[in-house]
Amino acid sequence: MASNRGIVGTVISRLVQAVIVVAIVTTLVFVLIHIAPGDPFAAAMDNPNVSEALRARWRAMYGLDQPLLTQYVRYLANVARGDFGWSFSMHRPVLDVLKDALPNTLLLAGTALVLGFAGGIGLALIQAMRPGSRTDRTLGAGSMFFYAMPDFWLALMMMLIFAYWFPVFPVAGAVDPIMHEYMTPLAAVADRLKHLALPAITLALLSGAAVARYQRAELLRVLPDDFVRTARAKGVSERRIMLVHVLRNALIPTVSLLGLSLPGLFTGAVFIERVFAWPGMGWVILNAVSTRDYPLVTAGVIVAAATVTLGSLLADLLYAVVDPRIRGR
Amino acid sequence: MYGGRARVQQRPQGVNLIAPRGTNFQSKLVGRPVWRDDVALTILIEDHLKPPAISMTTTPISAGAQRPRTSSGRRRLASARLPRFRAALALIFLTTVLACNGEPKQGAATGGTLVISTASDADYLFPPLIISTQGREIAEQIFEPLANIGDSLNVFGEAGFTPALADSWTWAPDSLSIAFHLNPGARWHDGKPVRARDVQFTIALCKNPDLASPIAPLLSEIDSVTVADSLTPVFWFKRRTSQQFYDAANVALIVPEHVYGAIPASRLAASPILRTPIGSGRFRFRRWVPNATIEIVSNREHYRAPAKLDRVIWTIAPSDFGAASTRFLAGEADFFSAVRASMLPQIAKSNTLRLIEYPGFKFGYMVFNMRDPANPRSPNPLFRNVTTRRALTMAIDRAALVRNVFDSLAIPSVGPTVRAMATTDTTIPQIPYDPQRAMQLLDSLGWRTGPDGFRARNGKKLAFSIMVPSSSMDRQRLAVLMQDQFKKIGVSVTIASVEPNIFEQQQHSHKFDTAIETWLADPSPGGIRESWGSAAAHTEGSKNYGDYANATFDSEVDSALAARSRPVARGLYSDAFRTLINDAPAIWLFEPRNMIGIQKRFHVAALRADAWWAHLADWYVPGNEQTARDRAGASPSDPVANTASSTPAGNK
Repeated sequence: MASNRGIVGTVISRLVQAVIVVAIVTTLVFVLIHIAPGDPFAAAMDNPNVSEALRARWRAMYGLDQPLLTQYVRYLANVARGDFGWSFSMHRPVLDVLKDALPNTLLLAGTALVLGFAGGIGLALIQAMRPGSRTDRTLGAGSMFFYAMPDFWLALMMMLIFAYWFPVFPVAGAVDPIMHEYMTPLAAVADRLKHLALPAITLALLSGAAVARYQRAELLRVLPDDFVRTARAKGVSERRIMLVHVLRNALIPTVSLLGLSLPGLFTGAVFIERVFAWPGMGWVILNAVSTRDYPLVTAGVIVAAATVTLGSLLADLLYAVVDPRIRGR
Repeated sequence: MYGGRARVQQRPQGVNLIAPRGTNFQSKLVGRPVWRDDVALTILIEDHLKPPAISMTTTPISAGAQRPRTSSGRRRLASARLPRFRAALALIFLTTVLACNGEPKQGAATGGTLVISTASDADYLFPPLIISTQGREIAEQIFEPLANIGDSLNVFGEAGFTPALADSWTWAPDSLSIAFHLNPGARWHDGKPVRARDVQFTIALCKNPDLASPIAPLLSEIDSVTVADSLTPVFWFKRRTSQQFYDAANVALIVPEHVYGAIPASRLAASPILRTPIGSGRFRFRRWVPNATIEIVSNREHYRAPAKLDRVIWTIAPSDFGAASTRFLAGEADFFSAVRASMLPQIAKSNTLRLIEYPGFKFGYMVFNMRDPANPRSPNPLFRNVTTRRALTMAIDRAALVRNVFDSLAIPSVGPTVRAMATTDTTIPQIPYDPQRAMQLLDSLGWRTGPDGFRARNGKKLAFSIMVPSSSMDRQRLAVLMQDQFKKIGVSVTIASVEPNIFEQQQHSHKFDTAIETWLADPSPGGIRESWGSAAAHTEGSKNYGDYANATFDSEVDSALAARSRPVARGLYSDAFRTLINDAPAIWLFEPRNMIGIQKRFHVAALRADAWWAHLADWYVPGNEQTARDRAGASPSDPVANTASSTPAGNK
């Protein structure tokens, strides 16, 4: 009971901290993006018909000619009413843009997270069961290979191999833009999975490699412990020892990693989304920064900051789940 | 002018020999040949054989004693000569077909789904607000102007213009107004008729400061539009200009008042109604999934002819050229309009893809900043001297530079213009590549070579920087090669590769030494005043980035703009271009040769220099070459066909 009250107290205190962090980050980003060179209408100046006078008119229409403090106060007031503003680059309300992008990112990052962590932990278990063996060395080299690889390069290679040389998967996008709406529900799901495969596998390979390396090291650290020797002495099978006794005790660093990866569910994987033209949050925020889309950048950062703080809170709670010692504190 | 076409596009089986459109037909057959598919020839001849789809009109719009000049009056004379003309054309057609041994294609000359791969989404599909090329290419399928500019892109008078929403037009005797006679069968995609009030509304909306439309400046010579009757809008001009017909007939795409009129202009840009446009064009809008897909379908009820293609779908790989080009190369898309040199070998190897070249409207140059970037009130101590600018220009081997960077996909530029423009004179002598002469000129100015190999005068090194946007690999490569060429004459150059937003800001605030720019020209040559005229110099934020001012050039351009005939205007523009080239405010570097990649099954109509999509409604896939993708959406039972034929707005 006492420990439950402690957890609730911790959660409330962390939530308050989260609100403060989000507010500070939002303010910083709002100021920085506004003082950066250029404005949302800079790209339009390439058009011979767009004059400086027209650009000034657009700035006035969207209140960008007002002092920064006035703009900030107005922005906060709008956010308090649930209005995140108008996206200059997408020509739509920011909320609509986020509503479209978030589910795509959740799907991609969620699938990759599950695949990456399950695969990484599985790989680490195989390696840890025969440390130093040829299998261990081969898998270790493989995970090192993917761990060291830049994400955009791996994405391009995956696209080249599996979409161009051997066209097993589609090149880009979330669904087949032409045939998707004529498909049966089952075929439509298959189409979505087909489009998801390459970006999700790419992301999973990258995260799985990291997980495998952390997890293997932790498993090997736990293996010589007394409780493992005791379990072996009691005649518990090697598989049960690894899965039940060793893995649970070796999961804590992986849970940390999981907590740190959670914000990615909402903020997206910028390069992977870009290479595979996956219409998710990563691409939206990157594009918003380069086009000086102030409201979209700020809203994206609010989402990112909130998920980072909540992700870290969730990771702390997961520690308590996997480690009874923390729960007791 | 574009003799390299045959090199790029191999002659496929069953193709005929044609020459560019818009020239005398007989001279086409004896002129320099280019290879295009036989359909292009057929369409060309069909255009000539068609009786003019223009109703006769003599409706006077003012009570003046002079008889109005009518376009239809001139066409009456043409129609009298038509039978003989038809016979001659038919004979030429038969001779050509036999001579080329081309087998006629099987299957209906209609249908197909064109999937276009692109790396950018449209900004708007509502014509008065569009800035992006992407938005323009789609909106111009959905909406129509009063008259279409011809493929020759003439903007002087009405020569070459073809009827669109207006069947014909009548000039006032004093040329200060033009009455357009709308096609009575023209309908909006929701079934309502197109009326003169829609035209009046469109022009008023575009000029409304609350909308802040980018096309408002182009309509500045139009005073107002009045409604003579429900099918006759009358344009009134502030003064007579050589391109007043172009301004009235082609600049604005007409939008329906009953759809957009109820929304205040100041709120229109944020209105969700703009996401589902309703126009009158040969295609109607179907769906727009942001950053993913835009789809249009053939408007089966169009008053002239429905689009031949059933559907056109833009698949968008946002901001990612790699994904967009791979989609095309992998066969997921049929068309790609931004072919780069690196893609040429893959397209050449493909059995299903082909390349088509068409003249471009873009050019690139390195501009000298005449204003001192350190002290904006003073002239630039280095570039204010014309001899220095000419010497620097002579140091650059433009042909080698362009070949190095663009392979065969660009040619050296001929000045602040493009070859496809009717006013361009390609015979104007350019400042030649002559590094020896460049060194002599610099020597004569007192720039002596020091022990480090670089020139200096009064202890000051001859040095400057070239600013390029970090987003443009081509411009960065050009800068590196130019740096090397300048070094050979003893000029020290550094390269400032900056983020695009900073590039743009530095340009507008004139805080750079030199910058490599690209410019997309407009059919109207008058735009040159904005980028090189004295009126735009010394102005913060103007497009005269180099702050160039030359009174002779100004007067020559003013005279050209006031000229009433194309030959006179062309001569005057030639004088202006010659002045500019000799004065060397920039080094004219390159003019890209536009190349589209497309699946071979598509029969493509002529590609217009300023807009490849101008005749998109006339593209098609013959019935016997159609794939499952072509037929999806074309059968009566599918959702697209139903939407197109039964839902008035065609919107989802």
